[in-house]
Amino acid sequence: MTRRTGFLFVGLLLFVFASATYAIAQDFEAELKKQCDEICQPTDQPWRKIPWQTDLLAAQKLAVEQARPIFIWAMDGHPLGCT
Amino acid sequence: MLDRESTFADKQIIGMLTDQFIPVAIDQWYTRRQQDTEGDFYRQIAGQGPRSDFSNTTQGLYIADSAGHLIAYNNNRGPERIRALMEKAVAEFDPPDATPLTRGKSDPKYSTPIPKGAVVVRTSAKVMGGYEKPVDHWQQIFQHAVSRDNLWITADEQRELLDDKMPEALARRIARFHLVDNTRGQPPTWQLEEIRKLDFSISDGKMNGTIELETADHTRGFMADISGVVSGAEGRVTDFTMLAEGTFWGTGTYTMEPPQGKFPLVIAFQLADGKDIADAIAPHASRGWVDGYLYPER
Repeated sequence: MTRRTGFLFVGLLLFVFASATYAIAQDFEAELKKQCDEICQPTDQPWRKIPWQTDLLAAQKLAVEQARPIFIWAMDGHPLGCT
Repeated sequence: MLDRESTFADKQIIGMLTDQFIPVAIDQWYTRRQQDTEGDFYRQIAGQGPRSDFSNTTQGLYIADSAGHLIAYNNNRGPERIRALMEKAVAEFDPPDATPLTRGKSDPKYSTPIPKGAVVVRTSAKVMGGYEKPVDHWQQIFQHAVSRDNLWITADEQRELLDDKMPEALARRIARFHLVDNTRGQPPTWQLEEIRKLDFSISDGKMNGTIELETADHTRGFMADISGVVSGAEGRVTDFTMLAEGTFWGTGTYTMEPPQGKFPLVIAFQLADGKDIADAIAPHASRGWVDGYLYPER
């Protein structure tokens, strides 16, 4: 093996190693995100389609402007989060 | 949670709330205490209902007009009952001669804006097995529930994370307040001395760790492995994805009927994109004492 082919061989080995490491890291990240997506609440749940306000005074203002009653979902812990 | 999966999953109720009401969701723990215009307005409405002792919970569903007159109250679950209540309220509704209330100064004790420069991470927990067969629809909802809370990461902590350092306050915040089983209600959080092991490291943006949490009487605990990735630019985190997977046991006053013995619990953490209205909700453990949440060693 000449010196030049030796360098080429080492370079090739390094490239293969770096590519494999990168691929493993990408796989880890993709798998992690997939698992998180599977656990997290879907964003298309029916209750999310309701145009909730989170500020009672903002709701009162809208109720005046639109001449509608206010529907208050009052919980221990925030109904949109917490649990 | 039960409401989300029952009352507010009902198509007719969703339609009525969208077209005929102004729906608002609040944590009454704050609102009934607030010494400001919002608190006054809430107490005016709730005080006309059966839960008018503001030193106790006033939770429930209220229908009121913009002048603060209570039209209806209910704290029962079940779409049929709530739908009937709403239909009656709409039929009898007579818009009052009211004007928008002036906000004034918000009560700082119960005002919890997100710290400047902080990012929000959505946290979701799910029990992965161990339950007995459910006895009814309500128990089935609990057993399949996925919880939701928010984790705040401050600007300084983001810079440390991007330097491959896990800030101690953040590690403790995650352990004490976010590694909880909140799938069936408000959970007890962990005391500082209940953190038995907190081994958290970051290398090249990859997070790994082992966390052991246990009460002194051994009746509640969580042994979890952590894995995750974090990345960003210019000191701001733009990706934070993390999983805590482990074995949980025990319960709290408001998280009754867990699986018997030890059971698998997974908690997912994902950076919020701000598109979900719940992204703006303060972390549950921050209520009443934001500093205690941000600096959990205190």
